[in-house]
Amino acid sequence: MIAFENVGLRYGHGPEILKDLTFAISPGSFHFLTGPSGSGKTSLLRLLLLSLKPTRGSVSMFGEDVSALDRDRLLQMRRHIGIVFQEFRLLDHLTTFENVALPFRVRGQAEPSYRSNVEELLDWVGLGDRMDAHPAVLSGGEKQRAAIARAVIAKPDILLADEPTGNVDPELSERLLHLFEQLNRMGTTIILATHEVNLLDKFDYPRMLLNDGELTIHE
Amino acid sequence: MSEGLKLRFPRPNPIVPAHSVAGRTLMLLIGIMTFLSCVTFGGVLLVQKSAMGWSADVGRELTIQIRPLDGEVIESNLRLAVSLSEAVPGVASARVLTIAESEALLEPWLGAGLDLSDLTIPRLVVVQLSDPNAADIARLETDISAIPGASLETHAAWRMQLNTMAGTIVISGILVLGLILVATALAIVFATRGTMSTNREIVDVLHFIGASNRFIAGEFQGRFLLLGLKGGLAGGLAAVIFFIFAGTAMSTVVPQQSSAQLGVLFGQFALGISGLLGIVGVVLVIAGLTAITSRLTVRRFLTQIS
Ligand SMILES: Nc1ncnc2c1ncn2[C@@H]1O[C@H](COP(=O)(O)OP(=O)(O)OP(=O)(O)O)[C@@H](O)[C@H]1O
Ligand SMILES: [Mg+2]
Repeated sequence: MIAFENVGLRYGHGPEILKDLTFAISPGSFHFLTGPSGSGKTSLLRLLLLSLKPTRGSVSMFGEDVSALDRDRLLQMRRHIGIVFQEFRLLDHLTTFENVALPFRVRGQAEPSYRSNVEELLDWVGLGDRMDAHPAVLSGGEKQRAAIARAVIAKPDILLADEPTGNVDPELSERLLHLFEQLNRMGTTIILATHEVNLLDKFDYPRMLLNDGELTIHE
Repeated sequence: MSEGLKLRFPRPNPIVPAHSVAGRTLMLLIGIMTFLSCVTFGGVLLVQKSAMGWSADVGRELTIQIRPLDGEVIESNLRLAVSLSEAVPGVASARVLTIAESEALLEPWLGAGLDLSDLTIPRLVVVQLSDPNAADIARLETDISAIPGASLETHAAWRMQLNTMAGTIVISGILVLGLILVATALAIVFATRGTMSTNREIVDVLHFIGASNRFIAGEFQGRFLLLGLKGGLAGGLAAVIFFIFAGTAMSTVVPQQSSAQLGVLFGQFALGISGLLGIVGVVLVIAGLTAITSRLTVRRFLTQIS
Protein backbone atom coordinates (compact mmCIF):
# COMPACT_ATOMS: atom_id res chain seq x y z
CA MET A 1 0.00 0.00 0.00
CA ILE A 2 2.82 2.38 0.93
CA ALA A 3 6.47 1.87 0.02
CA PHE A 4 9.39 4.23 0.67
CA GLU A 5 12.79 3.63 -0.87
CA ASN A 6 15.86 5.62 0.22
CA VAL A 7 13.69 8.63 0.83
CA GLY A 8 15.43 11.78 2.02
CA LEU A 9 13.86 15.14 2.85
CA ARG A 10 15.25 18.57 3.52
CA TYR A 11 13.52 21.94 3.67
CA GLY A 12 15.22 24.38 1.32
CA HIS A 13 18.96 24.31 1.93
CA GLY A 14 18.57 23.17 5.52
CA PRO A 15 19.84 19.91 6.99
CA GLU A 16 18.34 16.61 5.94
CA ILE A 17 15.37 16.02 8.27
CA LEU A 18 14.65 12.51 7.05
CA LYS A 19 17.48 10.29 5.88
CA ASP A 20 17.33 7.17 3.78
CA LEU A 21 13.89 5.97 4.79
CA THR A 22 13.10 2.55 3.40
CA PHE A 23 9.98 0.75 4.57
CA ALA A 24 6.73 -0.75 3.39
CA ILE A 25 3.30 -0.61 4.96
CA SER A 26 0.78 -3.27 4.13
CA PRO A 27 -2.94 -2.63 3.71
CA GLY A 28 -5.01 -2.88 6.84
CA SER A 29 -2.10 -2.39 9.22
CA PHE A 30 -1.92 -0.05 12.21
CA HIS A 31 1.33 1.73 13.06
CA PHE A 32 2.31 4.18 15.74
CA LEU A 33 4.76 6.82 14.59
CA THR A 34 6.83 8.09 17.45
CA GLY A 35 9.99 9.97 18.24
CA PRO A 36 11.13 13.10 20.04
CA SER A 37 9.74 16.51 19.20
CA GLY A 38 11.30 17.86 16.02
CA SER A 39 12.32 14.40 14.83
CA GLY A 40 10.26 14.71 11.66
CA LYS A 41 6.96 12.95 12.39
CA THR A 42 4.86 15.69 10.86
CA SER A 43 7.23 15.89 7.90
CA LEU A 44 6.88 12.16 7.25
CA LEU A 45 3.08 12.44 7.41
CA ARG A 46 3.21 15.30 4.92
CA LEU A 47 5.16 13.08 2.56
CA LEU A 48 2.43 10.47 2.96
CA LEU A 49 -0.28 13.05 2.32
CA LEU A 50 1.56 13.93 -0.92
CA SER A 51 1.77 17.55 0.17
CA LEU A 52 5.58 17.41 0.17
CA LYS A 53 7.85 15.87 -2.41
CA PRO A 54 10.88 13.93 -1.20
CA THR A 55 14.26 15.48 -1.99
CA ARG A 56 15.51 12.07 -3.02
CA GLY A 57 14.37 8.48 -3.18
CA SER A 58 11.01 7.22 -4.31
CA VAL A 59 7.60 7.04 -2.69
CA SER A 60 4.89 4.78 -3.97
CA MET A 61 1.32 4.65 -2.77
CA PHE A 62 -1.54 2.42 -3.84
CA GLY A 63 1.04 0.76 -6.10
CA GLU A 64 1.94 3.91 -8.02
CA ASP A 65 5.11 5.97 -8.03
CA VAL A 66 3.85 9.30 -6.78
CA SER A 67 6.52 11.39 -8.55
CA ALA A 68 4.84 10.52 -11.85
CA LEU A 69 1.32 11.48 -10.82
CA ASP A 70 -0.65 14.14 -12.61
CA ARG A 71 -2.90 16.48 -10.69
CA ASP A 72 -6.10 14.52 -11.21
CA ARG A 73 -4.62 11.24 -10.04
CA LEU A 74 -3.08 12.96 -7.03
CA LEU A 75 -6.49 14.38 -6.21
CA GLN A 76 -8.08 10.95 -6.49
CA MET A 77 -5.45 9.53 -4.13
CA ARG A 78 -6.03 12.30 -1.59
CA ARG A 79 -9.67 11.30 -1.46
CA HIS A 80 -8.56 7.91 -0.16
CA ILE A 81 -6.46 9.47 2.57
CA GLY A 82 -7.81 11.00 5.76
CA ILE A 83 -5.67 13.41 7.73
CA VAL A 84 -5.84 14.73 11.28
CA PHE A 85 -3.53 17.73 11.56
CA GLN A 86 -1.58 18.38 14.72
CA GLU A 87 -3.01 21.93 14.74
CA PHE A 88 -6.49 20.73 13.62
CA ARG A 89 -6.85 23.20 10.74
CA LEU A 90 -10.60 23.51 11.04
CA LEU A 91 -12.14 26.32 9.00
CA ASP A 92 -13.07 29.02 11.49
CA HIS A 93 -16.14 30.38 9.76
CA LEU A 94 -17.83 27.00 9.41
CA THR A 95 -19.74 25.21 12.14
CA THR A 96 -18.54 21.91 13.55
CA PHE A 97 -21.11 20.14 11.43
CA GLU A 98 -19.98 21.92 8.28
CA ASN A 99 -16.32 21.30 9.01
CA VAL A 100 -16.90 17.60 9.42
CA ALA A 101 -19.11 17.49 6.33
CA LEU A 102 -16.48 19.22 4.19
CA PRO A 103 -15.08 16.02 2.59
CA PHE A 104 -18.56 15.24 1.26
CA ARG A 105 -19.08 18.77 0.11
CA VAL A 106 -15.87 18.91 -1.91
CA ARG A 107 -16.95 15.68 -3.59
CA GLY A 108 -20.06 17.49 -4.75
CA GLN A 109 -22.52 15.57 -2.56
CA ALA A 110 -25.73 17.18 -1.39
CA GLU A 111 -26.41 17.67 2.30
CA PRO A 112 -29.36 15.25 2.65
CA SER A 113 -27.11 12.40 1.53
CA TYR A 114 -24.63 12.83 4.36
CA ARG A 115 -26.45 14.70 7.13
CA SER A 116 -27.38 11.70 9.29
CA ASN A 117 -23.95 10.22 8.71
CA VAL A 118 -22.21 13.32 10.04
CA GLU A 119 -24.61 13.70 12.95
CA GLU A 120 -24.09 10.10 13.98
CA LEU A 121 -20.32 10.45 13.99
CA LEU A 122 -20.46 13.75 15.89
CA ASP A 123 -22.66 12.06 18.51
CA TRP A 124 -20.17 9.27 18.69
CA VAL A 125 -17.21 11.56 19.40
CA GLY A 126 -19.30 13.47 21.94
CA LEU A 127 -19.93 16.59 19.88
CA GLY A 128 -23.62 15.95 19.31
CA ASP A 129 -24.59 19.14 21.10
CA ARG A 130 -21.78 21.26 19.59
CA MET A 131 -22.76 20.83 15.97
CA ASP A 132 -23.62 24.49 15.34
CA ALA A 133 -20.67 25.83 17.30
CA HIS A 134 -17.79 27.48 15.51
CA PRO A 135 -14.22 26.32 16.18
CA ALA A 136 -13.44 29.56 18.01
CA VAL A 137 -15.70 28.56 20.89
CA LEU A 138 -14.64 24.90 21.04
CA SER A 139 -12.16 23.66 23.60
CA GLY A 140 -8.88 22.15 22.38
CA GLY A 141 -10.20 18.64 22.91
CA GLU A 142 -13.46 19.42 21.11
CA LYS A 143 -11.54 20.83 18.15
CA GLN A 144 -9.40 17.73 18.11
CA ARG A 145 -12.44 15.49 18.00
CA ALA A 146 -13.96 17.56 15.22
CA ALA A 147 -10.71 17.25 13.28
CA ILE A 148 -10.72 13.49 13.77
CA ALA A 149 -14.34 13.27 12.70
CA ARG A 150 -13.52 15.22 9.52
CA ALA A 151 -10.64 12.86 8.75
CA VAL A 152 -12.62 9.64 9.15
CA ILE A 153 -16.09 10.68 7.94
CA ALA A 154 -15.49 9.61 4.34
CA LYS A 155 -14.04 6.22 5.40
CA PRO A 156 -10.56 6.68 3.93
CA ASP A 157 -8.30 3.77 2.96
CA ILE A 158 -5.39 5.38 4.78
CA LEU A 159 -5.73 7.48 7.91
CA LEU A 160 -2.86 9.74 8.90
CA ALA A 161 -3.21 11.20 12.38
CA ASP A 162 -0.75 13.71 13.81
CA GLU A 163 -0.95 13.67 17.62
CA PRO A 164 -4.71 13.12 17.52
CA THR A 165 -4.95 12.69 21.27
CA GLY A 166 -2.65 15.50 22.35
CA ASN A 167 -5.43 17.65 23.80
CA VAL A 168 -7.80 15.21 25.45
CA ASP A 169 -7.86 13.45 28.79
CA PRO A 170 -6.55 9.87 28.99
CA GLU A 171 -10.05 8.45 29.08
CA LEU A 172 -11.20 10.16 25.89
CA SER A 173 -7.84 9.50 24.37
CA GLU A 174 -8.46 5.79 24.85
CA ARG A 175 -11.98 6.04 23.43
CA LEU A 176 -10.61 7.79 20.35
CA LEU A 177 -8.07 5.03 19.94
CA HIS A 178 -10.89 2.53 20.02
CA LEU A 179 -12.52 4.50 17.21
CA PHE A 180 -9.30 4.20 15.21
CA GLU A 181 -9.16 0.46 15.98
CA GLN A 182 -12.71 0.09 14.76
CA LEU A 183 -11.87 1.86 11.53
CA ASN A 184 -8.78 -0.30 11.20
CA ARG A 185 -10.85 -3.42 11.58
CA MET A 186 -13.03 -2.20 8.72
CA GLY A 187 -9.92 -2.09 6.56
CA THR A 188 -8.43 1.38 7.01
CA THR A 189 -4.64 1.49 7.15
CA ILE A 190 -3.63 3.74 10.03
CA ILE A 191 -0.46 5.66 10.87
CA LEU A 192 -0.81 7.53 14.12
CA ALA A 193 1.90 9.89 15.33
CA THR A 194 2.07 10.18 19.09
CA HIS A 195 4.51 10.39 21.95
CA GLU A 196 2.02 9.49 24.64
CA VAL A 197 3.66 6.67 26.49
CA ASN A 198 0.46 5.37 28.10
CA LEU A 199 -1.14 4.85 24.67
CA LEU A 200 1.96 3.17 23.34
CA ASP A 201 1.93 0.88 26.35
CA LYS A 202 -1.76 0.08 26.25
CA PHE A 203 -2.10 -0.65 22.57
CA ASP A 204 0.14 -3.19 21.06
CA TYR A 205 0.81 -2.04 17.55
CA PRO A 206 4.10 -1.84 15.65
CA ARG A 207 6.00 1.40 16.21
CA MET A 208 7.88 3.43 13.69
CA LEU A 209 10.53 5.26 15.66
CA LEU A 210 12.13 8.40 14.22
CA ASN A 211 15.40 9.53 15.68
CA ASP A 212 17.98 11.85 14.15
CA GLY A 213 16.23 11.46 10.82
CA GLU A 214 16.55 7.68 10.85
CA LEU A 215 13.58 5.34 11.03
CA THR A 216 13.45 2.02 12.81
CA ILE A 217 10.35 -0.16 12.95
CA HIS A 218 9.61 -2.17 16.09
CA GLU A 219 7.09 -4.88 15.34
CA MET B 1 -32.41 13.25 10.58
CA SER B 2 -34.51 15.67 12.66
CA GLU B 3 -36.61 18.42 11.19
CA GLY B 4 -35.43 20.85 13.85
CA LEU B 5 -31.84 20.52 12.74
CA LYS B 6 -32.74 20.95 9.13
CA LEU B 7 -34.43 24.21 9.97
CA ARG B 8 -31.39 25.35 11.83
CA PHE B 9 -29.30 24.75 8.71
CA PRO B 10 -31.39 26.28 5.98
CA ARG B 11 -28.37 26.45 3.77
CA PRO B 12 -24.71 25.63 4.40
CA ASN B 13 -22.33 28.51 5.00
CA PRO B 14 -20.26 29.36 1.96
CA ILE B 15 -16.81 27.75 2.11
CA VAL B 16 -15.19 31.09 1.34
CA PRO B 17 -16.34 33.57 4.01
CA ALA B 18 -18.02 36.62 2.51
CA HIS B 19 -16.08 39.20 4.48
CA SER B 20 -12.72 37.77 3.45
CA VAL B 21 -13.18 38.83 -0.15
CA ALA B 22 -11.92 42.38 -0.64
CA GLY B 23 -15.56 43.08 -1.26
CA ARG B 24 -16.58 46.64 -0.67
CA THR B 25 -13.46 48.22 -2.16
CA LEU B 26 -13.65 46.06 -5.25
CA MET B 27 -17.34 46.71 -5.64
CA LEU B 28 -16.76 50.46 -5.41
CA LEU B 29 -13.99 50.21 -7.96
CA ILE B 30 -16.14 48.19 -10.34
CA GLY B 31 -18.97 50.66 -9.83
CA ILE B 32 -16.76 53.63 -10.70
CA MET B 33 -15.31 51.88 -13.73
CA THR B 34 -18.79 50.98 -14.93
CA PHE B 35 -19.93 54.56 -14.46
CA LEU B 36 -16.99 55.88 -16.47
CA SER B 37 -17.58 53.30 -19.19
CA CYS B 38 -21.28 54.14 -19.40
CA VAL B 39 -20.66 57.89 -19.52
CA THR B 40 -18.04 57.42 -22.22
CA PHE B 41 -20.36 55.14 -24.12
CA GLY B 42 -23.29 57.54 -23.76
CA GLY B 43 -21.17 60.51 -24.82
CA VAL B 44 -19.93 58.72 -27.89
CA LEU B 45 -23.46 57.70 -28.76
CA LEU B 46 -24.74 61.28 -28.41
CA VAL B 47 -21.98 62.66 -30.59
CA GLN B 48 -22.56 60.02 -33.20
CA LYS B 49 -26.34 60.43 -33.22
CA SER B 50 -26.08 64.22 -33.43
CA ALA B 51 -23.49 64.13 -36.18
CA MET B 52 -25.63 61.76 -38.19
CA GLY B 53 -28.65 63.97 -37.64
CA TRP B 54 -26.88 67.15 -38.75
CA SER B 55 -25.31 65.46 -41.68
CA ALA B 56 -28.68 64.21 -42.86
CA ASP B 57 -30.37 67.60 -42.32
CA VAL B 58 -27.64 69.47 -44.10
CA GLY B 59 -27.56 66.89 -46.88
CA ARG B 60 -31.21 67.57 -47.68
CA GLU B 61 -30.49 71.16 -48.43
CA LEU B 62 -28.43 72.93 -51.10
CA THR B 63 -27.77 76.60 -51.49
CA ILE B 64 -27.37 78.48 -54.74
CA GLN B 65 -25.47 81.68 -54.31
CA ILE B 66 -25.80 84.44 -56.89
CA ARG B 67 -23.42 87.35 -56.74
CA PRO B 68 -24.81 90.60 -58.08
CA LEU B 69 -22.90 91.49 -61.27
CA ASP B 70 -22.97 94.73 -63.19
CA GLY B 71 -25.39 94.55 -66.07
CA GLU B 72 -27.34 91.62 -64.63
CA VAL B 73 -30.84 91.77 -63.25
CA ILE B 74 -30.50 89.76 -60.06
CA GLU B 75 -34.23 89.17 -59.58
CA SER B 76 -34.67 87.43 -62.94
CA ASN B 77 -31.53 85.38 -62.38
CA LEU B 78 -32.92 84.28 -59.03
CA ARG B 79 -36.21 83.25 -60.65
CA LEU B 80 -34.26 81.38 -63.33
CA ALA B 81 -32.29 79.55 -60.65
CA VAL B 82 -35.54 78.51 -58.93
CA SER B 83 -37.13 77.21 -62.12
CA LEU B 84 -33.95 75.41 -63.23
CA SER B 85 -33.67 73.79 -59.82
CA GLU B 86 -37.27 72.68 -59.74
CA ALA B 87 -36.82 70.97 -63.10
CA VAL B 88 -34.09 68.72 -61.70
CA PRO B 89 -35.28 65.30 -60.52
CA GLY B 90 -35.11 64.77 -56.75
CA VAL B 91 -35.67 68.41 -55.92
CA ALA B 92 -38.68 69.06 -53.74
CA SER B 93 -38.72 72.84 -53.78
CA ALA B 94 -36.57 75.88 -54.34
CA ARG B 95 -37.10 79.22 -52.66
CA VAL B 96 -35.42 82.61 -52.87
CA LEU B 97 -34.36 84.03 -49.54
CA THR B 98 -35.60 87.59 -49.19
CA ILE B 99 -33.10 90.32 -48.44
CA ALA B 100 -34.51 90.51 -44.93
CA GLU B 101 -33.86 86.79 -44.39
CA SER B 102 -30.33 87.14 -45.70
CA GLU B 103 -29.74 90.03 -43.34
CA ALA B 104 -31.06 87.94 -40.47
CA LEU B 105 -28.53 85.26 -41.35
CA LEU B 106 -25.73 87.79 -41.26
CA GLU B 107 -26.92 89.52 -38.12
CA PRO B 108 -25.00 87.33 -35.66
CA TRP B 109 -21.78 88.24 -37.42
CA LEU B 110 -22.37 91.88 -38.31
CA GLY B 111 -24.73 92.99 -35.54
CA ALA B 112 -28.35 94.11 -35.65
CA GLY B 113 -29.65 97.33 -37.12
CA LEU B 114 -27.06 97.47 -39.82
CA ASP B 115 -28.35 98.71 -43.10
CA LEU B 116 -27.10 96.28 -45.67
CA SER B 117 -28.98 97.72 -48.62
CA ASP B 118 -25.98 99.51 -50.03
CA LEU B 119 -23.74 96.51 -49.36
CA THR B 120 -23.88 94.17 -52.32
CA ILE B 121 -24.38 90.91 -50.57
CA PRO B 122 -24.94 87.74 -52.60
CA ARG B 123 -28.52 86.47 -52.77
CA LEU B 124 -29.39 82.92 -51.87
CA VAL B 125 -31.73 80.27 -53.21
CA VAL B 126 -32.44 77.41 -50.83
CA VAL B 127 -33.06 74.12 -52.62
CA GLN B 128 -34.78 71.34 -50.66
CA LEU B 129 -34.17 67.82 -51.90
CA SER B 130 -36.87 65.21 -51.56
CA ASP B 131 -34.34 62.42 -51.77
CA PRO B 132 -30.65 63.33 -51.38
CA ASN B 133 -29.53 60.06 -52.95
CA ALA B 134 -31.67 60.25 -56.08
CA ALA B 135 -31.14 63.95 -56.73
CA ASP B 136 -29.15 64.74 -59.85
CA ILE B 137 -26.74 67.21 -58.28
CA ALA B 138 -24.38 67.13 -61.28
CA ARG B 139 -27.15 68.24 -63.64
CA LEU B 140 -28.18 70.99 -61.24
CA GLU B 141 -24.59 72.17 -61.13
CA THR B 142 -24.24 72.41 -64.91
CA ASP B 143 -27.65 74.02 -65.30
CA ILE B 144 -26.85 76.63 -62.68
CA SER B 145 -23.46 77.42 -64.15
CA ALA B 146 -25.27 78.97 -67.11
CA ILE B 147 -26.44 81.79 -64.82
CA PRO B 148 -23.78 84.52 -64.51
CA GLY B 149 -22.40 84.87 -61.01
CA ALA B 150 -24.16 81.73 -59.71
CA SER B 151 -22.51 78.95 -57.77
CA LEU B 152 -23.81 75.82 -56.04
CA GLU B 153 -22.96 75.10 -52.43
CA THR B 154 -23.53 71.42 -51.53
CA HIS B 155 -21.97 71.54 -48.05
CA ALA B 156 -20.12 68.37 -49.03
CA ALA B 157 -16.80 69.55 -47.63
CA TRP B 158 -18.46 70.62 -44.39
CA ARG B 159 -20.25 67.31 -44.04
CA MET B 160 -17.04 65.43 -44.62
CA GLN B 161 -15.34 67.44 -41.92
CA LEU B 162 -18.22 66.79 -39.57
CA ASN B 163 -18.09 63.07 -40.25
CA THR B 164 -14.34 62.97 -39.71
CA MET B 165 -14.69 64.81 -36.43
CA ALA B 166 -17.48 62.56 -35.25
CA GLY B 167 -15.47 59.52 -36.32
CA THR B 168 -12.46 60.73 -34.34
CA ILE B 169 -14.58 61.21 -31.25
CA VAL B 170 -16.13 57.76 -31.63
CA ILE B 171 -12.74 56.10 -32.05
CA SER B 172 -11.30 57.99 -29.06
CA GLY B 173 -14.31 56.94 -27.03
CA ILE B 174 -13.87 53.31 -27.97
CA LEU B 175 -10.19 53.59 -27.06
CA VAL B 176 -11.06 55.07 -23.66
CA LEU B 177 -13.64 52.32 -23.11
CA GLY B 178 -11.03 49.71 -23.94
CA LEU B 179 -8.53 51.24 -21.53
CA ILE B 180 -11.11 51.40 -18.75
CA LEU B 181 -11.89 47.72 -19.29
CA VAL B 182 -8.19 46.80 -19.20
CA ALA B 183 -7.69 48.84 -16.01
CA THR B 184 -10.71 47.11 -14.47
CA ALA B 185 -9.35 43.70 -15.39
CA LEU B 186 -5.97 44.54 -13.85
CA ALA B 187 -7.58 45.76 -10.63
CA ILE B 188 -9.62 42.57 -10.45
CA VAL B 189 -6.48 40.48 -10.93
CA PHE B 190 -4.86 42.23 -7.96
CA ALA B 191 -7.95 41.98 -5.80
CA THR B 192 -8.40 38.30 -6.64
CA ARG B 193 -4.79 37.44 -5.88
CA GLY B 194 -5.08 39.30 -2.60
CA THR B 195 -8.21 37.41 -1.70
CA MET B 196 -6.63 34.09 -2.58
CA SER B 197 -3.60 34.87 -0.42
CA THR B 198 -5.69 35.83 2.60
CA ASN B 199 -7.67 32.63 2.17
CA ARG B 200 -4.62 30.47 1.62
CA GLU B 201 -5.38 28.34 4.68
CA ILE B 202 -8.83 27.49 3.35
CA VAL B 203 -7.39 26.64 -0.05
CA ASP B 204 -4.76 24.38 1.52
CA VAL B 205 -7.23 22.57 3.75
CA LEU B 206 -9.57 22.03 0.83
CA HIS B 207 -6.69 20.65 -1.21
CA PHE B 208 -5.72 18.26 1.59
CA ILE B 209 -9.19 16.82 1.88
CA GLY B 210 -9.34 16.17 -1.84
CA ALA B 211 -11.04 19.22 -3.35
CA SER B 212 -10.31 19.75 -7.02
CA ASN B 213 -9.08 23.08 -8.30
CA ARG B 214 -12.33 23.29 -10.17
CA PHE B 215 -14.31 23.02 -6.97
CA ILE B 216 -12.17 25.58 -5.12
CA ALA B 217 -12.25 27.97 -8.05
CA GLY B 218 -16.02 27.66 -8.15
CA GLU B 219 -16.29 28.67 -4.49
CA PHE B 220 -14.31 31.86 -5.15
CA GLN B 221 -15.73 32.76 -8.55
CA GLY B 222 -19.31 32.94 -7.39
CA ARG B 223 -18.25 35.73 -5.07
CA PHE B 224 -16.58 37.74 -7.75
CA LEU B 225 -19.42 37.37 -10.21
CA LEU B 226 -21.79 38.70 -7.56
CA LEU B 227 -19.46 41.60 -6.78
CA GLY B 228 -19.14 42.40 -10.46
CA LEU B 229 -22.90 42.37 -10.96
CA LYS B 230 -23.57 44.53 -7.90
CA GLY B 231 -20.83 47.05 -8.69
CA GLY B 232 -21.78 47.10 -12.35
CA LEU B 233 -25.46 47.69 -11.60
CA ALA B 234 -24.65 50.52 -9.22
CA GLY B 235 -22.35 52.17 -11.76
CA GLY B 236 -24.84 51.74 -14.60
CA LEU B 237 -27.66 53.18 -12.51
CA ALA B 238 -25.50 56.13 -11.54
CA ALA B 239 -24.76 56.74 -15.23
CA VAL B 240 -28.47 56.68 -16.14
CA ILE B 241 -29.19 59.16 -13.34
CA PHE B 242 -26.29 61.28 -14.57
CA PHE B 243 -27.72 61.46 -18.09
CA ILE B 244 -31.23 62.24 -16.87
CA PHE B 245 -29.82 64.96 -14.60
CA ALA B 246 -27.60 66.38 -17.31
CA GLY B 247 -30.55 66.41 -19.71
CA THR B 248 -32.84 68.34 -17.35
CA ALA B 249 -30.04 70.64 -16.22
CA MET B 250 -29.41 71.47 -19.86
CA SER B 251 -33.00 72.48 -20.48
CA THR B 252 -33.45 74.51 -17.26
CA VAL B 253 -30.13 76.29 -16.96
CA VAL B 254 -29.70 77.22 -20.60
CA PRO B 255 -32.19 79.84 -21.87
CA GLN B 256 -34.97 78.58 -24.06
CA GLN B 257 -33.66 79.79 -27.40
CA SER B 258 -30.10 78.55 -27.09
CA SER B 259 -31.42 75.40 -25.49
CA ALA B 260 -33.27 74.70 -28.70
CA GLN B 261 -29.99 75.12 -30.53
CA LEU B 262 -28.18 72.89 -28.03
CA GLY B 263 -31.00 70.42 -28.45
CA VAL B 264 -30.19 70.38 -32.11
CA LEU B 265 -26.53 70.10 -31.29
CA PHE B 266 -26.87 67.31 -28.78
CA GLY B 267 -29.92 65.52 -30.11
CA GLN B 268 -31.94 66.65 -27.05
CA PHE B 269 -29.24 65.13 -24.87
CA ALA B 270 -31.40 62.03 -24.61
CA LEU B 271 -29.94 58.56 -24.87
CA GLY B 272 -33.09 56.86 -26.00
CA ILE B 273 -33.68 53.13 -26.00
CA SER B 274 -30.44 52.31 -27.79
CA GLY B 275 -28.48 54.23 -25.16
CA LEU B 276 -30.20 52.43 -22.29
CA LEU B 277 -29.63 49.08 -23.96
CA GLY B 278 -26.01 50.06 -24.43
CA ILE B 279 -25.63 50.87 -20.74
CA VAL B 280 -27.17 47.52 -19.83
CA GLY B 281 -24.66 45.98 -22.24
CA VAL B 282 -21.75 47.80 -20.58
CA VAL B 283 -22.90 46.58 -17.15
CA LEU B 284 -23.11 43.00 -18.41
CA VAL B 285 -19.70 43.25 -20.09
CA ILE B 286 -18.12 44.49 -16.85
CA ALA B 287 -19.80 41.80 -14.76
CA GLY B 288 -18.69 39.20 -17.27
CA LEU B 289 -15.18 40.65 -17.34
CA THR B 290 -15.05 40.43 -13.55
CA ALA B 291 -16.17 36.82 -13.60
CA ILE B 292 -13.79 35.75 -16.35
CA THR B 293 -10.79 37.65 -14.99
CA SER B 294 -11.23 36.35 -11.47
CA ARG B 295 -11.81 32.85 -12.80
CA LEU B 296 -8.55 32.90 -14.76
CA THR B 297 -6.68 34.45 -11.83
CA VAL B 298 -8.03 31.89 -9.37
CA ARG B 299 -7.14 29.04 -11.73
CA ARG B 300 -3.65 30.40 -12.21
CA PHE B 301 -3.15 30.83 -8.49
CA LEU B 302 -4.32 27.27 -7.78
CA THR B 303 -2.09 25.83 -10.49
CA GLN B 304 0.88 27.74 -9.13
CA ILE B 305 0.53 26.52 -5.56
CA SER B 306 -0.28 22.89 -6.25
N1 LIG C 1 8.16 24.18 6.63
C1 LIG C 1 9.35 23.96 7.21
N2 LIG C 1 10.43 24.64 6.81
C2 LIG C 1 11.64 24.45 7.36
N3 LIG C 1 11.86 23.60 8.36
C3 LIG C 1 10.83 22.86 8.82
C4 LIG C 1 9.52 23.03 8.27
N4 LIG C 1 8.68 22.20 8.93
C5 LIG C 1 9.44 21.55 9.82
N5 LIG C 1 10.72 21.93 9.78
C6 LIG C 1 11.82 21.40 10.59
O1 LIG C 1 11.87 20.01 10.39
C7 LIG C 1 12.13 19.36 11.61
C8 LIG C 1 11.09 18.31 11.85
O2 LIG C 1 9.85 18.96 12.06
P1 LIG C 1 8.50 18.15 12.25
O3 LIG C 1 7.42 19.12 12.39
O4 LIG C 1 8.38 17.14 11.16
O5 LIG C 1 8.78 17.42 13.64
P2 LIG C 1 7.77 16.60 14.55
O6 LIG C 1 8.40 15.29 14.81
O7 LIG C 1 6.42 16.59 13.98
O8 LIG C 1 7.79 17.45 15.89
P3 LIG C 1 6.63 17.59 16.98
O9 LIG C 1 6.61 16.32 17.79
O10 LIG C 1 7.07 18.74 17.83
O11 LIG C 1 5.37 17.85 16.28
C9 LIG C 1 12.19 20.42 12.68
O12 LIG C 1 13.54 20.67 12.96
C10 LIG C 1 11.57 21.61 12.06
O13 LIG C 1 12.21 22.77 12.51
MG1 LIG D 1 4.62 17.35 14.49
